[in-house]
Amino acid sequence: MTVLKTSMRNFFAHKGRMALSAVAVLLSVAFVCGTLVFTDTMNTTFDKLFTATASDVTVSAKDASDTGETRSGNGRPPTMPASVLGEVRGTDGVKSAEGTVFSTSVTVVDAEKRNLSPKSGAPTIVGSWNVNDARTKKITSGTAPHGFGQVMVDADTADQHHLRLGDEIGVISAVGTHTAKISGIAAFTVTNPGAAVFYLDTRTAQQTLVGKTGVYTNVNVTAASGVSDARLKRNVAARLGGAYKVQTAKEVADANQKSIGSFLNVMKYAMLGFAGIAFLVGIFLIINTFSMLVAQRTREIGLMRAIGSSRRQVNRSVLVEALLLGVFGSVLGVGAGVGIAIGLMKLMGSMGMNLSTDDLTVAWTTPVLGLVLGVVVTVLAAYLPARRAGKVSPMAALRDAGAPVDAKAGRLRAALGLVLTGAGGCALYAAAADDRAKDGSLWLGLGVVLSLIGFVVVGPLLAGGVVRALGAVVLRIFGPVGRMAERNALRNPRRTGATGAALMIGLALVACLSVVGSSMVASATEQLDKTVGTDFIVQSDSGQLITPQAVRAVKSTPGLKRVTEYKVLDVSLTTPDGRTTTKETVNAADPTYAQDLRTKTVAGNLADAYRPDSMSVFEGFAKKHGIRVGSKVTVAFRDGRTARLTVRAITSDDAVIDKGAMYVSIATVARYVPSDRMPLDVLVFASAGDGQQRAAYTALKSALHDYPQYTVRDQTDYKKALKDQIGRLLNMIYGLLALAIIVAVLGVVNTLALSVVERTREIGLMRAIGLSRRQLRRMIRLESVVIALFGALLGLGLGMGWGATAQKLLALQGLNVLQIPWSTIIAVFVGSAFVGLLAALVPAFRAGRMNVLNAIATE
Amino acid sequence: MTSAVTIPRHGGTGGRTAVAARARQVVKAYGAGETRVVALDHVDVDIARGQFTAIMGPSGSGKSTLMHCLAGLDTVTSGQILLDETEITGLKDKKLTQLRRDRIGFIFQAFNLLPTLNALENITLPMDIAGRKPDRAWLERVVETVGLAGRLKHRPAQLSGGQQQRVAVARALAARPEIIFGDEPTGNLDSRAGAEVLGFLRRSVDELGQTIVMVTHDPVAASYADRVLYLADGRIVDEMHQPTADQVLDRMKDFDARGRTS
Repeated sequence: MTVLKTSMRNFFAHKGRMALSAVAVLLSVAFVCGTLVFTDTMNTTFDKLFTATASDVTVSAKDASDTGETRSGNGRPPTMPASVLGEVRGTDGVKSAEGTVFSTSVTVVDAEKRNLSPKSGAPTIVGSWNVNDARTKKITSGTAPHGFGQVMVDADTADQHHLRLGDEIGVISAVGTHTAKISGIAAFTVTNPGAAVFYLDTRTAQQTLVGKTGVYTNVNVTAASGVSDARLKRNVAARLGGAYKVQTAKEVADANQKSIGSFLNVMKYAMLGFAGIAFLVGIFLIINTFSMLVAQRTREIGLMRAIGSSRRQVNRSVLVEALLLGVFGSVLGVGAGVGIAIGLMKLMGSMGMNLSTDDLTVAWTTPVLGLVLGVVVTVLAAYLPARRAGKVSPMAALRDAGAPVDAKAGRLRAALGLVLTGAGGCALYAAAADDRAKDGSLWLGLGVVLSLIGFVVVGPLLAGGVVRALGAVVLRIFGPVGRMAERNALRNPRRTGATGAALMIGLALVACLSVVGSSMVASATEQLDKTVGTDFIVQSDSGQLITPQAVRAVKSTPGLKRVTEYKVLDVSLTTPDGRTTTKETVNAADPTYAQDLRTKTVAGNLADAYRPDSMSVFEGFAKKHGIRVGSKVTVAFRDGRTARLTVRAITSDDAVIDKGAMYVSIATVARYVPSDRMPLDVLVFASAGDGQQRAAYTALKSALHDYPQYTVRDQTDYKKALKDQIGRLLNMIYGLLALAIIVAVLGVVNTLALSVVERTREIGLMRAIGLSRRQLRRMIRLESVVIALFGALLGLGLGMGWGATAQKLLALQGLNVLQIPWSTIIAVFVGSAFVGLLAALVPAFRAGRMNVLNAIATE
Repeated sequence: MTSAVTIPRHGGTGGRTAVAARARQVVKAYGAGETRVVALDHVDVDIARGQFTAIMGPSGSGKSTLMHCLAGLDTVTSGQILLDETEITGLKDKKLTQLRRDRIGFIFQAFNLLPTLNALENITLPMDIAGRKPDRAWLERVVETVGLAGRLKHRPAQLSGGQQQRVAVARALAARPEIIFGDEPTGNLDSRAGAEVLGFLRRSVDELGQTIVMVTHDPVAASYADRVLYLADGRIVDEMHQPTADQVLDRMKDFDARGRTS
């Protein structure tokens, strides 16, 4: 009982010194809980939405996906004849049925041809206004669309783009462009997850999206009273005889939930991973706090031991304090987590996805997990300091407990650290040297973990050398103040090491990812320069196919030397070894594609693959199936007949673009696939005559002005787009790593603040003999900068090592060029110095404010 | 170790008075109203230049407070403190810090040295902070005087208590301050080490012409001084010139007895 009492008293007596540790626990727990609450809320929202929007039973075309429409090759949604509706209506247990048409392979623009699609990546849906959709939407102004010239838009999209009744809207589908005026605006009565939705009347929808009337993409069936969805489904399926997909409301909702759920899961685990890193960094902070508290309390503990406390009791009293800290931090963290979740929902709101806080879902497991995690991590982190406290001898009570100068960091530590780092280095080397990606990534993981632990263990030993080196460069100019800062940073290498290590972890990941990212850009750029012969690439960033009208527009652009169309077809292949592989794709292009992309071959000439009834396969496929130049492969086109093609070329697998592609000419495909089932182009390549590039580029852009869904890029644009894309991804990861770095910076603040308390007498002495406030503050700031730079140096070094290893490993997948982004690395290094200054702000201010006399008088 | 050293003159303003520091009607009070405690009650005192002055008194007499006020470590409630001709009461922290750095030396009872600096670095610290170069010859003499020549590279942790205090004395002397304040400088030392340190202080007055003010409650320590001031209840109640330990002890006993009967 007394143990608990002393722990409580100590805890409350030193609550200020624990504050930053509590914040570290709070942040990590908050991030975990915030992630869980947010993803749970998203799930609830979508669950509600899908349940609300699905009809009792839905009938759709056989090749539609479970979640709705499939992007078929010709850019039109898969449909069924109108006769199906009649059949369904005549089925037992059906109260009513309604045929609908909708498509997501559309682009919608306003009168100025500005794209109205959501920027969040949510779909654009154009469909027929129907009874089922009317259940979850309310027309807030105007009327439902009626006739060819009318369209209704959802209220969120209308708000966002300031659309009003009577405004003109263009719906661009594979069929063509259809213009209509806004007749009405409908608001969602359930949460709109951010989709832009447009309604036409049924006939207009059929013509605009499919190009013909008398077809539906779906038949929504409502059950008669007393008929279960499952029974209705059986009846309808029996009536239609298996030619169509029949799903109950629950099945549709589940399928939708599954597809969105897997995305949410990826997001959830990624965010939890970053929360884990923050926890790891927080551990260092907690260890440091308790180590320092124990050191400061050495005399007190000695006294407790002298008057009869057992080691266990002392040990336990420290752990109980940790427990209190863990509980306190975690409880606040759970609360803050809900706040973070609401913040994320607001953020999604600003990106167009309106999540309602009414759906806020806090599962009972969330606070429990947060609490358990926070408490367990805190107590585990305090274990080592607690053990050290238990080892304090009763003699400590009698000795003068001035700030201990702990200069010896132990030979055992050195040996262990070096062994671990060495093993890590070997594993990384093995990863770099491995020529099988799978083994290599195992080695890489092992190497990363071992070298990280090794650096953490050996950190305090490195602190000496690194801080001295940094001191020689940075601190010399500050004279005696700099020297004292250096000595202070060195006086307890274990503390400096642990503080720096916390920062090291976050920065190592930043460095590693920046190396991999810039190597990716550099490798891709090199590949582009080496292999791409085309000047311009036309594609849709939202994944839409290129309509024949747009292709014609490209082809009629003046100044172009050649235009290459490029399609992807689903096939199944039967190879000479007798095996059949389904779900393969072949890439059909014009023969000029061999000039647009100079893919290396290991056998044969790629241009020959575009000859009639010829094709190429890739190296790995050829090896696996024993294919040589001249081998015959049976190709069954999903939308056409079966062909027997001769392999004329085998392409190298050492490629980045179109790796693993099998080429065939469009002319060959046309002999086996009827023209109305021929898929649309995925990409169109164009090249200008010499010296006409610039003019052609302008001409091409204006030719495609009416097709805002497509983007034309020249090689420079393309490289930039690639770079931006990788840059965005990296920025997102850096953003998430910021949490770990913030915790690490709190660690620096913590160490400094506690050091200042510990050195109260020293500071008083220095002030008494004439150190000015300004000099004192500078001294503390410099110490902070040195610690931060120490962490940065270690982290950047380690991270660059990891990055370089990852690049060597990924060289197998085409990441051929190692590029160290020096500007980023240097910016991070310099930035850490500023972070150090920032971290010292409060401790330095408080040290400066210390009363000289009190400082001297402090026991 | 007697030598024919001339008394060094302080560089600077030329003609100096015989008084290094003075307090005029100094009052130091804590709290207000009912809880008001007066630590110094209208104290007037002159500290003679080139002399070793001891301030004695029972616990709570205000002797440490007087020293802290004279040294510019503490502020006074009313009255004036002058260091040479400079009035230090009312100076801002920046000026006070400079004053302490350039014109005053300190020796505390314990924890006098920075553990991260070696002996020599500790000795030159005030000058380093000020950005001044120490006077080599003077420094050597000080170091030699306090007998630390072989231990300059040692860290405080590697020195005995007596050696640490000698380093502190050397630090106080090295910057050639106008006045050195000692707050029980031998309080933590055994009698032999204490005698050693006091001997150095005495010598620095005799041989180097240093002005020293020392707070102590040890009659033996006080007997090294030229003059002893007695404080009781915040007032100077007596003084004694060229004291011996026995005289000091007797006087203390008197005060004690009076304190008890009153």
